[in-house]
This record gives sequence, structure tokens and C-alpha cells, in this order.
Amino acid sequence: MADIETTDIRKIVVACDAGMGSSVMLASQLRKQLKGLGIEVQHTPVNSIPADADVVVCHKGLADRARKTAPDTVLIPITIFIGDPAVTRLVTTIKNGGTVHG
Amino acid sequence: MTEYTPAVYGTGVKATIQRVGGHLAGMIMPNIGAFIAWGLITALFIPTGWLPNEDFAKLVDPIIKALLPVLIGYTGGRMVHGQRGAVVGAVATMGVVVGADIPMFLGAMIIGPLAAFVIKLVDGFVQQRTRAGFEMLVDNFTAGIAGAGMALLGMWGIGPIVRVVTDAAGEAVEWLIGNSLLPLASVLIEPAKVLFLNNAINHGVLGPLGVAEAVKHGKSILFMLESNPGPGLGLLLAYLFFGPRSLRPSTPAAMIIHFLGGIHEIYFPYVLMKPRLILAVIAGGAAGAFTFLITGAGLVATPSPGSIFVYLAVTPKGGWFGVLAGVVIATAASFAVAAVLLGFGRKSGDDETPADETPESQPAPQEA
Repeated sequence: MADIETTDIRKIVVACDAGMGSSVMLASQLRKQLKGLGIEVQHTPVNSIPADADVVVCHKGLADRARKTAPDTVLIPITIFIGDPAVTRLVTTIKNGGTVHG
Repeated sequence: MTEYTPAVYGTGVKATIQRVGGHLAGMIMPNIGAFIAWGLITALFIPTGWLPNEDFAKLVDPIIKALLPVLIGYTGGRMVHGQRGAVVGAVATMGVVVGADIPMFLGAMIIGPLAAFVIKLVDGFVQQRTRAGFEMLVDNFTAGIAGAGMALLGMWGIGPIVRVVTDAAGEAVEWLIGNSLLPLASVLIEPAKVLFLNNAINHGVLGPLGVAEAVKHGKSILFMLESNPGPGLGLLLAYLFFGPRSLRPSTPAAMIIHFLGGIHEIYFPYVLMKPRLILAVIAGGAAGAFTFLITGAGLVATPSPGSIFVYLAVTPKGGWFGVLAGVVIATAASFAVAAVLLGFGRKSGDDETPADETPESQPAPQEA
């Protein structure tokens, strides 16, 4: 399980099956919440997570595939798409500083 | 989150199936805009359309039989070997396109990546052996030769095979329709859908078969089996009224995103956290399919995303009744079964028993 210091987070990738639906929605929510912190939020298909991603967010049902594409990246699996506690925790941690556990 | 975590979740096999399905859908989904363009042109300008126009209707055939398969082959090639793979994949796809009189989506999904794989191997072999200064010459000619060769192979080899497969699958589907067995497909489709195989099923399997049918009959019911937004809406409505308290506030937003925005993934977690609710969406899917079947409903193109707006946009003229009826009945059936399975709020998993009050007052027009 990888960890990352919040100060090292430059790019968060939200992944879903096609990279066109739920990930876009979640990415735009995250982008708003993290505005002004200098963190890029990107959405991609889970099969093509870019190598420079620092944190990957995706639904639990796709976590196996995300681990295969980005094995060494911190992975935040989520359960629901609106108001997931794991996402809230990620945003709070980034804002307050600390370590994000994958 | 223990309560929401299903026991067995994410085996290697499932991830593999998802990945293969993801590749199939990945060839189609970036091109959905072109599909919608074709759907709009078809719905408007064919002789039975809203604004029949002989000249504009000439666009219909070349787009569905040439442009869309070539786009699929191009995208499939790009997934395997970047821009060079895309070019060779597109050229090779012309082989299956010209050799057939049906839309060769399946053929394109095979030969596009295959041709790109061939040029990838060729590149790996040739590039280390190319002398400095000859790279451009060699690159262009290897791509040209590989593309031409694969186009010939597509025309004589792959095209006829895919034709036979497509015909057989089409006949199987027509047999299912003829015997009113199509609603049974929901027993397979709905569980696979919530395991994130939704795109694979809709775009990888049902879409290509549906297009073949739509070209023949002007519409197809196959587009509506996976993409019907009714079952998901019914499930979310049941959650709104009878679900666990903690989840109720999020369901109206989820309904809007699902039903109007067409992002079905939004409701999958609600099924996964209470797996018995899969029966509700199966019932909804089957009831919807049955309604589509008896009203003779169909769409001209894949509705993607599966939003009610897209549904109405790709419905052929005069077909709105059956389409809307299927969506409404699917919603009602799914809602009813989910409500029973949630014990009308008593088995919702809450500690307190919610019986007297319903905090949300979201209007629920779809429950019949």
C-alpha cells in the first residue's frame, strides 16, 4: 500500500470504465473543491491511467483494473458517486496537510 | 462502511472480463458523437422521418456503412499502436466495409486493432534495422503496405466470417423477439451492468447487432435493453422513500444525473450495497423490454448516454408512445420490487424505524 504526502500531490486522476461518464462528473466536483491548490484533476478510462498520476480515485468495482494499470500509485476506492466519505477525507487531508494512505 | 461492502468483490476473472469489455466499448464510445449525428440525420430526413428530404437522406448510407466502421477501426488501432496504428486500422477497416452490405461494426472491432498489432510488430522489427535518414521512407511504406495487405485480408478473409457470425447472431435475436423471449435477456444484462460491464454490453454487443437491425427495419429494440433509464430510476425512487436514512438525501441528485444526464453508473452502488435489489432492476428491465416488444418500439441509434433526452432524440417518428411506455413501466416495476425488498422502509438497514416521516419532497412523476 503506497502512501503520499499531500505536499507531493500534483495530479489526481479520476478513472471510470470509459473515462467519459462518472469520472468526468466526479473530477469536476473534485476540481471545484480543490480550486486554488495547484492540483490538476484529470479524468481517464481505467485502462489508461497516466504514469504521472499521484493519486487515483475510482469505484471499488474497478479497483482491480486500476491497480493493474497503475500499481504503484495511491488508490482511493470509492463506494458511491455523490458524497463518498473517502473523497471527503481526501479533500480534507489535502487541505489540512498530512499523509494520504492508498 | 462495513454494511455497504459486499462480501465477494472484484475477482481476477471479473477484472479481466471488464478489461476486454472496456476495450470493445473503448473503440465505440469516443465516436458516439458521430453516431448521434447519424441518428439525427436518419430520424429527420429518411422518407418516413420528420422532414423527409431526398438529398440529405443520401448521407445516411455512407455514414453508417463507411464512416462509422472506419472511425471504430481507427480508434481501435489507436488503442493498440498510437497514430500509426490508427491509420493502418482505418485502412484495413475499409476492406471489411467494401466487402459487405451491412454495417461492419464487429468486423471493424476485430480488424482495426489486429492491423495495428501487425504494424506494431513490423515497426519493432524494422526500426532497429533502418539506416539513419531512411526512417520516414521506411515508416510510410511499411504502414502503407501493412494497411493495403490488411484491407485485402479484411475483404476476403475477415469480412465473410464476420458476416456469417453477424447473420447468425441476428437470426438468434430475431428468434428471441419472435418468441417474446427478449425480456429474459434482462436476467443477464442487469447483473452484468452493475458490475461495470454496462458499456461492454451496450456498445460491444448490443450496439453492433442493433445497427444491423436498424438498417434493415429502420429501428431496433436492442439499443434499449441495456440503456433503458427506467430500472435505475425506479430503484433510486425506492431508495428515496424506503432506503437507509443516511442515503436518502443523495438520491434526488443521483436521479437527475441518472435519468436526465444518462450516467447510469450513479445507481450501481445502490444495488451493490444491497445485492438483493438486483431483482428489482431485473424486473424493471424485463418489464421494460416486454413493453417495448409488444408496442413494437425501437430506436434508430444507440442512445448514449442513456438519458431520457437522448431516448427521445433517437426515437423514430411516431414511436414515442412505446418508448415512453417502456421507460415508465420499467420504472414502476423496478420501484415496486425494490420497495418490497426494502420492506417499505422497515428492512432498510436503519437502527431507528422510519415509518411516519419522509423528509424529502422530491416530486416522483414516474411511479405509476
